[in-house]
Amino acid sequence: MLDRRRLVTAIALVATIAGAMVATAPARSQELTKASLRLKWLAQAQFAGFYVAAAKGYYKAEGIDLTINPGGPNLLAENLVATGSDTFGLSGGTDSVFAARDKGLPIVCIGVAHQLTPFVFVTRKDGPVKTIEDFKGKTVTTWFTGANYVLSGMLAKAGITADQLKIQPQQVSVTPFVEGSVDVVTATYYNELYAIQSRMPKDSLRTFVAEDYGITFPRDTLIVSEATAKEKPDLVKGFLRASIKGWKDAFADPKGAIDTVMAVAPTLDRAQQEFQLTEVKRLMVAGKAGENGLFWIDRDAVKSAHDFFLEYKVIAKPVDLKAAYDPSFLESIAVADRRL
Amino acid sequence: MTFGSRALPSLDRGGRALTAFPAGGVLRLAFALAAVAVVWEASVVLFGIKPHSLPRLSSIFQAMLATPRAYIDGFLRTLTETLIGFATGGAFGILIGIAFFRLRTLREMIFPVFVVSQTIPVIAFGALVVLWFGNTLVAKAVIAFYLTFFPVTVNTLLGLESVDPRQAALLRSFGASSRQLLLRLQLPTALPQIFVALRLASSLSLVGAIVGEWFGDTTGLGVLLLQAMYNENFVAIWAALLVSALLGTGFYAVVAVVERRLVFWGAEQ
Amino acid sequence: MSVLAGRPSSLAMQRGVVGGVLLVLLWEGVARSLALPSYVLPAVSDIFVSIWSTRALLVEAAAYTLCEAVSGYLLGCAIGIGLAVAITMLPVTRGFMLPAATAVNSVPVVAYSPLILLWFGIGIASKIVMVAMAVSFTVFLSTLAGLDRVDRRSVDLMRSFGAGRFSILWRLRLPTALPLMLAGMRVSTVRGILVAIVTEMLGAYDGLGWVIYQAVLKIDFIQVWSAIFVASAASLLFFGLLGVVERRTLFWK
Repeated sequence: MLDRRRLVTAIALVATIAGAMVATAPARSQELTKASLRLKWLAQAQFAGFYVAAAKGYYKAEGIDLTINPGGPNLLAENLVATGSDTFGLSGGTDSVFAARDKGLPIVCIGVAHQLTPFVFVTRKDGPVKTIEDFKGKTVTTWFTGANYVLSGMLAKAGITADQLKIQPQQVSVTPFVEGSVDVVTATYYNELYAIQSRMPKDSLRTFVAEDYGITFPRDTLIVSEATAKEKPDLVKGFLRASIKGWKDAFADPKGAIDTVMAVAPTLDRAQQEFQLTEVKRLMVAGKAGENGLFWIDRDAVKSAHDFFLEYKVIAKPVDLKAAYDPSFLESIAVADRRL
Repeated sequence: MTFGSRALPSLDRGGRALTAFPAGGVLRLAFALAAVAVVWEASVVLFGIKPHSLPRLSSIFQAMLATPRAYIDGFLRTLTETLIGFATGGAFGILIGIAFFRLRTLREMIFPVFVVSQTIPVIAFGALVVLWFGNTLVAKAVIAFYLTFFPVTVNTLLGLESVDPRQAALLRSFGASSRQLLLRLQLPTALPQIFVALRLASSLSLVGAIVGEWFGDTTGLGVLLLQAMYNENFVAIWAALLVSALLGTGFYAVVAVVERRLVFWGAEQ
Repeated sequence: MSVLAGRPSSLAMQRGVVGGVLLVLLWEGVARSLALPSYVLPAVSDIFVSIWSTRALLVEAAAYTLCEAVSGYLLGCAIGIGLAVAITMLPVTRGFMLPAATAVNSVPVVAYSPLILLWFGIGIASKIVMVAMAVSFTVFLSTLAGLDRVDRRSVDLMRSFGAGRFSILWRLRLPTALPLMLAGMRVSTVRGILVAIVTEMLGAYDGLGWVIYQAVLKIDFIQVWSAIFVASAASLLFFGLLGVVERRTLFWK
């Protein structure tokens, strides 16, 4: 016969252990507002400023208990912010904000980090692709998280439709491009380009830069839900203030910033992360951000990107830019504090 | 047939875990692990195997020791998610199994739905689960729960149905109530079969926890794996795999030990 | 009589259908009455409409995934059965192989996908390898358990008639092992498709996991659910197919 007491003891033991583990999770603070920031990708130097701000307690000083949640391959910051799973998001870019608003997601952009298009299309200089028209019939890899819109927009401008070439999802590794099985690859200045240039000499590469074709696609957009923007403006302002402070500190002390990031993601390559931070700085202070400070929303750039997408049918109908982009939170912070 | 001589939880002819870790067995296990470690290190060095294919065991340990907190925190976090998913999935599975056993109509209506539910790739749910539950422990535990409850339900049912009807009739003739029948005869008889499922569930809940962490978690073994993949850091991948193996084997062993204590009248029936 | 063994009675089947229909109605009711946005829970009717309108895409993706799953499955079964037979024929290897296989499998199979994706790229090869890994261990264990059930006396009897080892294997051990082996193979069909989809979601050129991945990024959750439904149907199809094959081989049961 079963020893019932032993069974009950076993169940009680398991329940106690499980309960203890849940209970010893960090206690919630009473005075601070809980919030979370969802990044667009896994933790890396691209997001250093946020991690620095968190490590130095800038969010706590603004009354925010912020959790920084990394993104990943199957997550979209717009979705998570729209459903309320996350308070803030650092999402793909102006393109993904347009797409989200197009689908009716109630999100608002409160700041744009990268003032220039952060990625380029790379091919071999001695290869068959010399101009954008040569993309026809070639194998082009890109990410389907926003870069694909830019690609299809640029192709459409050159009169090429998507079915005239092979657009494939980009692999984790740049090896297929280096080994020649892919003709054109999408590379961010701060990640893939570094990896490619460490394996192929810089002058053997040809790059296609969106700005050369008269268009800029600002990326890394800070978003909140419409509800948060309306009901908790102070939270949003506090978040922006603390984040900008963190970024300024990160640029002032890059080594310290990388230390903070490496503590979160220890398997990163330090040399590459330092390069990444330098590139990210260049992107974040480009254009009007030099004058108007970090996270500046360049209305002209946003409008022309919007019109570009509308013309080339990347979005189905016009997006209400005033509702989608709200610079009032940013502008409430003194310019001197926003500038580097 | 030798029963107690295997160091690892080995399988007898009925496919059940036999031995826990008798003292001599622990020594043999340690020796076996040491032997594997030596062979690993030696082959990589001797055959000049590139880290891309197989890194040296020593470099894997070095990497772990360089940032121990990441692996310890990851281990504990994943363990917590696994435990909660396992406990809830197991409890639910047993309760539903009992309900199905008692109420035939319920079983015939709901069981097919359960079967179909298991064909749905829960990883596809991951994106939705994170949307619904946020980046919390709950989200990962839900995924682990989802993978766990079905095998436990099936095996609880199987176990309950293996009760000898004559014994049941005998107890009833002594005036045993349904509840007493359940607790004193049916559940005890079903226990070995339930534990078969619980052992399986121990690995399934770990799968749920790891996959759940791929949906934007901050700490965990799954997070370490994903980060290592996107950084193309092979040493880190292997480090995370080894720690996962430790967690998987450890948890399985604990369940096997508990099984041995509770089901003491022997593995053979 | 257990609903797990044998074919269900027609009353049981009716009840099963009723259960399914009730669930669908409940889902539809909740989604419509609460007017949930599609990224939380779309209405079942919307999903079915979407499945029909994107059926070409879904069928192609399902075929791609099934291809990976079936190839990996066959490979995995071959490996699993092969290893089990090898251990039975060479009993000395058991003490080494069994712990080794258990050790490799103590890591959840899905945890290997980052490594496999880096080694084999995001094409079909990586998915086939992953499915083979997932399937082979289950099939290996059940085949081994089945082969071990053989009665020593039957083996001795055949030996006394001069039967060689392979003859014994073919005429006695394998037929005895068949029920357990097939049980393991049955369970592995669904696992195979799930593992293929999991791997696709981390990187692929096509397939249901890829469709789900893209749909999430395009904020098209109705498409996500459509792909989930189709994946479920594909698993059941595969499972059913194996059931048919099983009934043909175990006709004496």
